[in-house]
Amino acid sequence: MTAKPFKRKAYWNEAELSWWERAYLFEILRGLGITGGVFMRNMWRWMTGRKGALTTYYPEETRPDYGRHNRGKHVLTQRPDGRAQCIACNMCATVCPAKVIEIDAAFDPDDPAHPKYPSRFEIDYSRCVFCGLCVEACPEDAIRMVKEVPDFPGADRHRMWLGKEELLGWKPQSDVAKPYPAKAGGAAKRGPA
Amino acid sequence: MPEIFIDGQAIQAEPDQTVLQAALANGIFIPYFCWHPHLSVHGNCRICVVEVEAKGGSWLDISCNMPVTEGMHVLTDSEEVRAQRKAILQFVTLNHPVDCGICDKAGECTLQDYHFAYNGSPSISRDAKVHATKFFDLSKRIVLDNERCILCSRCVRFTREISKSHALGIENRADHSLVRPAEDRRFDDDPYSDNVIDICPVGALLSKQFLYKARVWYLEPTPSVCPGCERGCAVQIWHRRPEWRLNALDPRQNAEIARVTPLENPAVNGPWICNKGRDLARIFERARAEQPMLKGKPVELAAAIDAARRLIDEARHAVALVSNWGSNEELAAFKQALAGRFAASFVKRDRQPEPGERIEDDFLIRADKNPNTAGARALFDDAPAALPDGADLVLVWGEGCDFGRLPRGAKTVFLGSYLAPENGHADVFIPVSIQTERRGSYTNFAGTVSPFEPCFAKKPSVADAETLFAALAQRERATA
Repeated sequence: MTAKPFKRKAYWNEAELSWWERAYLFEILRGLGITGGVFMRNMWRWMTGRKGALTTYYPEETRPDYGRHNRGKHVLTQRPDGRAQCIACNMCATVCPAKVIEIDAAFDPDDPAHPKYPSRFEIDYSRCVFCGLCVEACPEDAIRMVKEVPDFPGADRHRMWLGKEELLGWKPQSDVAKPYPAKAGGAAKRGPA
Repeated sequence: MPEIFIDGQAIQAEPDQTVLQAALANGIFIPYFCWHPHLSVHGNCRICVVEVEAKGGSWLDISCNMPVTEGMHVLTDSEEVRAQRKAILQFVTLNHPVDCGICDKAGECTLQDYHFAYNGSPSISRDAKVHATKFFDLSKRIVLDNERCILCSRCVRFTREISKSHALGIENRADHSLVRPAEDRRFDDDPYSDNVIDICPVGALLSKQFLYKARVWYLEPTPSVCPGCERGCAVQIWHRRPEWRLNALDPRQNAEIARVTPLENPAVNGPWICNKGRDLARIFERARAEQPMLKGKPVELAAAIDAARRLIDEARHAVALVSNWGSNEELAAFKQALAGRFAASFVKRDRQPEPGERIEDDFLIRADKNPNTAGARALFDDAPAALPDGADLVLVWGEGCDFGRLPRGAKTVFLGSYLAPENGHADVFIPVSIQTERRGSYTNFAGTVSPFEPCFAKKPSVADAETLFAALAQRERATA
């Protein structure tokens, strides 16, 4: 018996087909049968009010099973009086590999402990790569990422910005890492009660 | 020429040099806070400490106040020196708030750099930091953060030795010391006050205009020349880096002057400029004229150039008033291309001193508030009090011309950069670029030529005077 001569594959996963597979028509029909079967099964489930495929019907539906550390979207943490914890140091904007964070800083002479605050804080979600480096760079624990994804499907990529007001919407009842102690006296100065 | 040895390297020093000067002149870096090449030696920060080796043993001493002596051996990076520097930085930052995150100096701060290079460890002090005044108004332009101040006294020495206003001093003792204005003098009256912001080695002295405007690493400098007076100080115009262009925030921030700092030029201004030079945005960021017009009617730039060319062709006695804000290149282009077509060309003074402005002093500020009078006078005559009668066309280049005093009945071609009522009255108005949009050079009163670079793009409807003059000089073409 002579060994078959070695034949180098044209590409790494080039298929080795038997004569039955080379006959083409039978295997094609089998494949159509599989696809059609799955389609029919899902269709039947759908018609009887159940869910067919695993597809999540975004944006009407979002997955409940995001991982606990999923980097979905950013939130700005708050001081007890509702102002942003952010000191507008621009560390997040500087470290951001996609350069999507833009901050306008302003001077607050009334609060000598926090004289610099962000008057505007914008994140462009059309370019954000959700790497979380901004969270790591923040020296004040002012920006975090929560597992929920930003909810704005749209047709215009230039309108996918979130501003300070939207990012400040996160109001946890209790937060182990950040207990929000009520400051004596000064807390009532501004912001919501 | 005494020969000294720094880190074993033989150096030829000048006889009147200190060890620090000799080292810096030969490329050996020794850190310093309070020493400044243009100020007297104070020797209070101690960070320039070096080890002097001698026969009986070695000792540590500050290099900024140590004259060189023949055959002296100095070590700048020995074990003792490093330990001493580290201890000094611990001491300097004893009450420093380390609020670099909100400090405008962060990124160009000497203390930050040295701390990173020579200390690198957090404070070992167990005592609470002494708190001092934040945001003390030193003048209308400068705010002082006493917590960040390391009391190097550079600002105090600047007002005593350079600006001679004697407006600052240090009061109280020890860690209660504060830089304060003198009781009988106002720092507002010092026209050079903003230089203390640059020489402050930390973020204690801050410009109110620039406060929290941008982190410095978002900005880049373009070398330029201050057009505020005929001194023509070398300056750096800081503007946003293109890679940090803003998309969501006000897009005007991408093309505006963030701040102006001096560019050291020993032949003109040394390392200083006056406060007017810091406010170049007040000159350059006035409302711009960007629309070419014929008698107030908006037209395309090419149509306006055609109309101006026709007027120049038809004129029998044309007179030109040349701007002394034009660069040498533009003036030469005018001389070469157009001067022959005009019966006379005169230099016009574009800007007069503003009310309340310091007119002249014996340091930097000069009485003529235009940058290129010397360059323009080298090519053209001074304008007479009244233009000769009989002129039927006047070309006015630049601002500062009283249109009411032009000869009656004369047509006017006006090349201007800023919105002004005259723009609409001229027969032809052509908008031209300003200094921040073009390359060129100015000649100052002493004959020193200083170049400037463009930092912003000009609008397509705005012409560059240099190329415009060549276009105006072309005789009738197919367009006529």
